[in-house]
Amino acid sequence: MANIRDIKVRIDSVKSTKQITNAMKMVAASKLRKSQDRILKARPYADFINTMIQTLQFKNKHSEHPLFEENPGDEKKALIVVTSDRGLCGAFNSSIIKEASNYLKENSQVDIICIGKKGDDFFKKHDYNVIKSYINIFNEMDFSISREIAFNIIELFTIKEYDKVEIVYNEFKSVIQQNIILKQILPIVPIEDEDVPLVDYLYEPDDYTIMGELGAKYINVDIWRILLESSASEQGAQMTAMEAATDNATELIATLTLFYNRARQASITKEILEISSGAEALK
Amino acid sequence: MAKLHLQILQPVQMKIDAEFDHIIVPGVEGDFGIYAGHTAFITQIRPGVLQLYNEGSIEKYSIHDGFVTVENNQVNIVCEIIEKYSEIDESRANNAKDRAEKRLKKSKGNIDFRRAEAALKRALSRLEAISKSD
Repeated sequence: MANIRDIKVRIDSVKSTKQITNAMKMVAASKLRKSQDRILKARPYADFINTMIQTLQFKNKHSEHPLFEENPGDEKKALIVVTSDRGLCGAFNSSIIKEASNYLKENSQVDIICIGKKGDDFFKKHDYNVIKSYINIFNEMDFSISREIAFNIIELFTIKEYDKVEIVYNEFKSVIQQNIILKQILPIVPIEDEDVPLVDYLYEPDDYTIMGELGAKYINVDIWRILLESSASEQGAQMTAMEAATDNATELIATLTLFYNRARQASITKEILEISSGAEALK
Repeated sequence: MAKLHLQILQPVQMKIDAEFDHIIVPGVEGDFGIYAGHTAFITQIRPGVLQLYNEGSIEKYSIHDGFVTVENNQVNIVCEIIEKYSEIDESRANNAKDRAEKRLKKSKGNIDFRRAEAALKRALSRLEAISKSD
């Protein structure tokens, strides 16, 4: 059996690890609240743009805009992979990478755009065609980042580089549940909404221009929402992982303390034996 | 007189949700005023000054992009960037202007050019807003 001092050292080290994991859990919880709050705040804006697009599409079936049309041709696609920048969040990144890898098996000619360091590391290491990466954006995230990403994607799509642009990310369901979503970003497919108000608007300058601008705004806010969802999921996954780690540490400390007490007891018993047998010998 | 209900929606927040008498919006084809009873209307916004009148007082905002829709006395503005005059940071706008001008000289006719142009427009409209408010 290990000696008392060794056990004592291990207990201390586990205790400090537990403190760290516990702190990380708290940090994740507070960041999660912030992300959730931002998701809620983005919703009215996104809903409004979605409704407008539907109203316009309903009225002008014939004036289609390139952002809403598939580029016919060579089946070339782009896949955006949203992972996190840092680890310690359970299966969050590995499940995304798995899903993306499956997609890459099914589709040839796919260029990858990585958001988050983990995905970038993986796909570059395995020699996939990564054309663009956005790294370390989750720490200080604001809307201008999603606008930049959206701008680049739209640019690539409109010069007819790609047939379709799709994205794979973690959707936030709850702290313990994240769903992996694979969805199409471009061409735009507005969410079907039952009660679209059909207002007969006057357009200025014209519906084609407005459609293009609305489309661009739609993608901006869609990317923004996805980044927020992914960030909230990451914090959720991290909270769960850190809670499990804290629980494990607590359990480990209990076991080690038991060993420690046993060892201490044994050494005391041994000392008493020695003293009493020493006293016996002197008689 | 009937009032207009104005909502300004941004991706990060609902900037304004209030009632006004009269609104002046910088549209792509010229500034236009909205009173109660305006016809249903959508237009794109160009960088400029948004003016909100309510019972004799006026609020001015520097707005950079977006749309305005009018329908049944409900005015919705969706935009990514909007600032109240008092919120504008002059030195930041000046720096942005210099940066954009330098970029414009370097790049011609590609993506960077259009971006720098947009950035320059934003900076100029901010600076214009400051000079007017003094």
